[in-house]
Amino acid sequence: MEETQAAADEQDRALVRRFLEGQRDAAGALVDRYQQRLFNVALRMLGNVQDAEDVTQTVFLNAFLKLGTYDPRFRFFSWIYRMTVNESLNMIKRRKPTVTLDDAFEVQAPGAAPDRAAEAADQVGKALMGLKPDDRAVVVLSHFVSFSYQEIADVLEIPVRTVKSRLFTARERLRLALDEGVR
Amino acid sequence: MLNRDQIELIHQEIDGANTPEGSAACRSLVEQDPEARALAAELRHVALLFERVATREPPPHLKQAILDALPPPARAASRTAAGWMTPRAILRWSVTQLRLSTERMEEAIMTKRTMIIGGVAVATVVVIAGLATGWPPVGNQAGTIGGVEQAARYKGRAMTQSDVTLQNPEISALFQNPQILRLVQSGVFREAMQNTAFRELQASGAYHQIMASDAYHQIMASDAYRELMASDAYRQLEAIPAYRQLEASQAYRDLQASQAYQQLMASAAYRELQASEAYQQLLAQGAFREAQSAAAMRELQANEAYHQIMANEAYHQIMASDAYHQVMASDANREIMASDAYHQVMASDAYHQVMASDANREIMASDAYRQLEANEAFRQLEANAAFRQLEANAAFRDLQASNAFQQLQAAEAFRSLSRNQDLANVFMREAMNVTAP
Repeated sequence: MEETQAAADEQDRALVRRFLEGQRDAAGALVDRYQQRLFNVALRMLGNVQDAEDVTQTVFLNAFLKLGTYDPRFRFFSWIYRMTVNESLNMIKRRKPTVTLDDAFEVQAPGAAPDRAAEAADQVGKALMGLKPDDRAVVVLSHFVSFSYQEIADVLEIPVRTVKSRLFTARERLRLALDEGVR
Repeated sequence: MLNRDQIELIHQEIDGANTPEGSAACRSLVEQDPEARALAAELRHVALLFERVATREPPPHLKQAILDALPPPARAASRTAAGWMTPRAILRWSVTQLRLSTERMEEAIMTKRTMIIGGVAVATVVVIAGLATGWPPVGNQAGTIGGVEQAARYKGRAMTQSDVTLQNPEISALFQNPQILRLVQSGVFREAMQNTAFRELQASGAYHQIMASDAYHQIMASDAYRELMASDAYRQLEAIPAYRQLEASQAYRDLQASQAYQQLMASAAYRELQASEAYQQLLAQGAFREAQSAAAMRELQANEAYHQIMANEAYHQIMASDAYHQVMASDANREIMASDAYHQVMASDAYHQVMASDANREIMASDAYRQLEANEAFRQLEANAAFRQLEANAAFRDLQASNAFQQLQAAEAFRSLSRNQDLANVFMREAMNVTAP
């Protein structure tokens, strides 16, 4: 049965509490809960597996170092997703502009020939990387994490109207970019 | 042509964010309007394409690498149980730890330099101001400039050589110096004098205490300090506005004040590491920020001093200290890390130029700098409460950050004056005399 959001939040809080009480196995449990999600967010933001791995590790290390100041009134996932997006944005600022896309994107197209799926993956990757990093963050959280506007606003600490404006503009760009790629 | 609301309605439908009424309106729009239909279809296609992007499994070693890299108390269990740590995990752990601490150390080093230089610059201005304008009253030196009322003088009419009739022959001689005369006649000097922060600073007890302290005097008189003063790189760094915001952070001032931090900075291993070619290379390349810089990192890892640092008790104390964790976890730190200012500094050409400049590398590796860092007086000064008060003094920071003071420091007259070590020494001595409580 899928975990409800309230139950997930409560479990996060319990793990944070246990970690702060010195029960270090809670760190492993938190990594288990979030590493795949955070790694994929970083991957979509950066388009590079190695960079995504570095960002994910840095986020967890920073999170564990700062866990003492995490305010349990707020949702843990917003906090850690925010760190992931910010660290990814930092990585984009720091790295050389020549970083190439690796095989970060794989498109599942049932019934399609493998080369068609690879082509689609390439198109998606290029279109996404063509967006401004701030817009990309909104698209990633919306399309790959399925966050609501409000959840994206909480993670990025921007108003909902800004989320919508960025998402709609970015999606329009993606539509044009993908359309161009098909032609 | 679709209007903005209609386009938004279609986007929201794709996102499943419409109310039932909104959804009905969207369906109706799409049925009736071919343009709306086309847009909705294309956006659905985009959404579908993204839906099909496969979720990737993180690398299998990632979890272990994260747990291995946790601070010692957390790491102990998993490390002994797992009994392995990949070279990459070690590298990451080291890079993460070094990056976290080194960036602050770089900043702290810069802060120290800026502080000392700022202190001298302020002292110089205080003395010249006191002597040239007679404001504020400076004890026995009152009435230094003949025939002009203090209030009128302070308002800043241009000085001439004939205005200067000092009794102290040394100071009198100073005012015969064309550099000083040019400075006191300049608009930027007068503007700095009128700065509120400047006046507050002059009245601050902490400032007076520092000026009168033996430690400060000893540093100013040291050969090491004189050598350090020769670099223009400091001024370049000082000119970055964002850097000043960093300097004002309470968090890393607390870190700097911790005993463990002081110990680490004074440790032979740390100084050796700083002077090593590999470390210099790493800093100069900004290699902590680039995972690709494996060559420099490998070289660093092969360095004995690096291993000493990693095994250094003081280093681990810092990593485990409340101050360090407070810094790392503080809102201030988070703000700094997320701030444009921090990224501007770290990404700024000027910062990288300073860090990578031959001058900076020479300074970091120079005996003079290392002597200064290891200098007992220097450490005493850093540990001095008045010094810390002065560092935290809003007026001091405001003054240094003010346009007037920046312009003054950038003025050629001031620069050539402050390059003159003999004059600087006289000013320092005078500052200590006239500002002593």
